[in-house]
Amino acid sequence: MSALLEVRDLSIAIAGAARPLVDHVSFDVAAGETLCIVGESGCGKSLTALALMGLLSNPPLRRTGGTARFRDRDLFELPPRELRDLRGGEMAMIFQEPMTSLNPALTVGDQIVEAVRTHRACSAAEARDRALEMLRRVRIPAPEKRLGEHPHALSGGMRQRAMIAMALANDPALLIADEPTTALDVTVQAQVLDLMVTLQRESGAGMMLITHDLGVVAGLADRVAVMYAGRIVETGPVAAIFDDPQHPYTLGLIRSIPALSGERRRLATVPGTVPTAAAMPPGCRFAPRCPFAGPDCRAAPPLAEITPGHRVACHRAPIEEKAA
Amino acid sequence: MTAVDPVALEPGLDAPDLPPRRSRAWAKLRRNPAAIAGGGIVLFFAVVALLAPVLPVPGPAEADWSAVRAAPSLAHPFGTDDLGRDVLARMVWGAQASLLAGVVSVAIALALGVPLGMLAGYRRGWTDAVISRFTEALLAAPFLILAIAFAAFLGPSLTNAMIAIGLSAMPLFVRLARGQTMAVMTEDYVESARAIGVGHLATVGRYVLPNIVPPLLVQATLTIATAIIAEASLSFLGLGQQPPAPSWGSMLNVAKNYLEVAPWMALWPGIAIFLVVLGFNLLGDGLRDALDPRDL
Repeated sequence: MSALLEVRDLSIAIAGAARPLVDHVSFDVAAGETLCIVGESGCGKSLTALALMGLLSNPPLRRTGGTARFRDRDLFELPPRELRDLRGGEMAMIFQEPMTSLNPALTVGDQIVEAVRTHRACSAAEARDRALEMLRRVRIPAPEKRLGEHPHALSGGMRQRAMIAMALANDPALLIADEPTTALDVTVQAQVLDLMVTLQRESGAGMMLITHDLGVVAGLADRVAVMYAGRIVETGPVAAIFDDPQHPYTLGLIRSIPALSGERRRLATVPGTVPTAAAMPPGCRFAPRCPFAGPDCRAAPPLAEITPGHRVACHRAPIEEKAA
Repeated sequence: MTAVDPVALEPGLDAPDLPPRRSRAWAKLRRNPAAIAGGGIVLFFAVVALLAPVLPVPGPAEADWSAVRAAPSLAHPFGTDDLGRDVLARMVWGAQASLLAGVVSVAIALALGVPLGMLAGYRRGWTDAVISRFTEALLAAPFLILAIAFAAFLGPSLTNAMIAIGLSAMPLFVRLARGQTMAVMTEDYVESARAIGVGHLATVGRYVLPNIVPPLLVQATLTIATAIIAEASLSFLGLGQQPPAPSWGSMLNVAKNYLEVAPWMALWPGIAIFLVVLGFNLLGDGLRDALDPRDL
C-alpha cells in the first residue's frame, strides 16, 4: 500500500541563515495510521507541519529543498489556488492553542459553516446541518445552543473540540495535529485525545500528531519519528521505539518519563541544552550531549535501518543493551 | 442505547456563561459618567438637528428688519444677527450642517481609509510601501491646511467641504487600519482560517475586519469632533456652508465684525461648537476605555 503522504528531504531555513532549521527530513504517513513526531521545543516539528500546509510565513521562513507527495500531488508544486482547496478539505490541521485559534468575532457555528462552505457547493442550511452534525460527533453537549455562541463562552476543551469539528468537517484524508492537547488541563487532554482516536478510526484518515508528550505517543502512535535539532534521529514502530530505543537521545527521552509505580528515583535528564543554530556542531548534532560520543561522531551518521522499519541516525547503533 | 460514551465531555466542565464581549463593553460604558455626559450632549444636538423643521423657531433666513442685532429677549431668546435673523433658529439649523459635516466626512474617511489600510496591512510588500508613502505624504501637511487646500481646489460648498475634510482625515484611518490588520494577521485564528482554506477576501472580511472595528470606532468618534471644528473653520473662511444657509462657522465669521455691539452673535455658535466637540471627545474616550481589549 502506498503512503498517503510522502515527505522526502524537506529542509526549511530562515532567509540568510547558514544552517536550516529543518534538515532533510523524510517520513511517510499511511491512511489510517498515526505517525507521532516527537521532540523538544524548537526542533522543527511545527515548522514541518506548517510547511506541509503551505502556511510557512514567508519571506523569513522558506523551504529550501525537498518534496512532499500527498495523494500523488507534490504539495510544494501546487498552484496557490489548488493548495487552498486542499487545506481544510483533504488535509486539515488542528492547532495548539484552542483559546486563540477561534475567531472571537464569529459564532462557533459560523466558523464551522465557513469551513464547510469553503470546500463544498452547498446551501447555508445544509452547511449549518453539517456543522451541527460535527458538533455532535465531537460530543459537545447542547450542540444546537453552542452553534450560536461565540468562542469566549466555551471552555478550552470545548473550543478544542470545536476546532476538531472544523478540521474534520470535510472528511480530510490527512489530519495534522500540532500539540493539540498541550494547552489543555490533564483531564481534558485525555478526553480530547480519546476523541481524536475515535474519530480517526471512524474516518480512516491518516494522522500526523506532533507532540512532546511521550505518554501521548505511547497511547496513540502507530509509528514514531524522533526529531532533534531539525533532523529525524530515530524512526520506527511505536513498540520498537519504546522497547528498544537505539538513539541516545530517544533513550534519554524515555528515561526521563516519570513513573508512578516502583522505586522512587531521581528523574533522569538529558544533560546540556540544544545548541543554537549558529553553534550547531558538524556531524551528529547530539554529540555534545551524548554520553557515547566519540571522534567518529564528527561525521554525520546516516539514518540507517537496523531492523525492518526501525531506522537510527547514530554511529553507535545498534546499542548493546544486554551488556549493560 | 444508554451506554456511557467514553469520549463524551464530562458534565460540569462547561465554561461559565460569560456575557458577550459587546454587552460587557456596553456595561462598562454605562458606568462611565463622562462618557454618558458626552453621549448625552451628542444626542441632544443630534435630536435638535433632526427636529429643526418642526421646532417652533422662525426660518433660518427669515429677516426681521425691526430687530437688527437685537439683544436676547423673549421674542428672540438668543438675540438676532446683523440682518435681523433669529440666532436661535440659525443655531438649530446650523447644527444640521455641523453634525452632517462631522459624520459624513468621517464616513468618507472610513470608506476610503479602511480598505486601503487593510490592503496595505494584508498584502505587505510593495503594496504596503506605495500606500504608506502616499499616506505619509498626506500626513506631512497639517490636517486643517490640507482640508483648506482641498476645499479651495474643489470650490466652496458644504458638500465639497465634507469631501475635503474626509480626504484630509483619511490617512489617519489608513494608518490605523494597516497597523491593526498587521496585528490581527498574527493571531492564531487567522492562521487557522488559512488552514481551513478560507480565501483572501473572506479572511479579510470575516476574520480581520470584525476584529479591528473597536479601535476604528474610537478613532471615528474622536475624528468627528475634529471634523466639526474643521467644518466650522472652513465655513468661517467662506469655504464651507454658503450664505444664507446657516452654519456655526459662518455665523462666527459674520459675528467677528460685531463683537463689541452684538457679542451674542458669536457667543452661541462658540458655545455650541465647544459643547459638541467636548461631547464627541468624552464619548470617544469612554468608548476607548470600554473597548480596551486588555480587560475584556
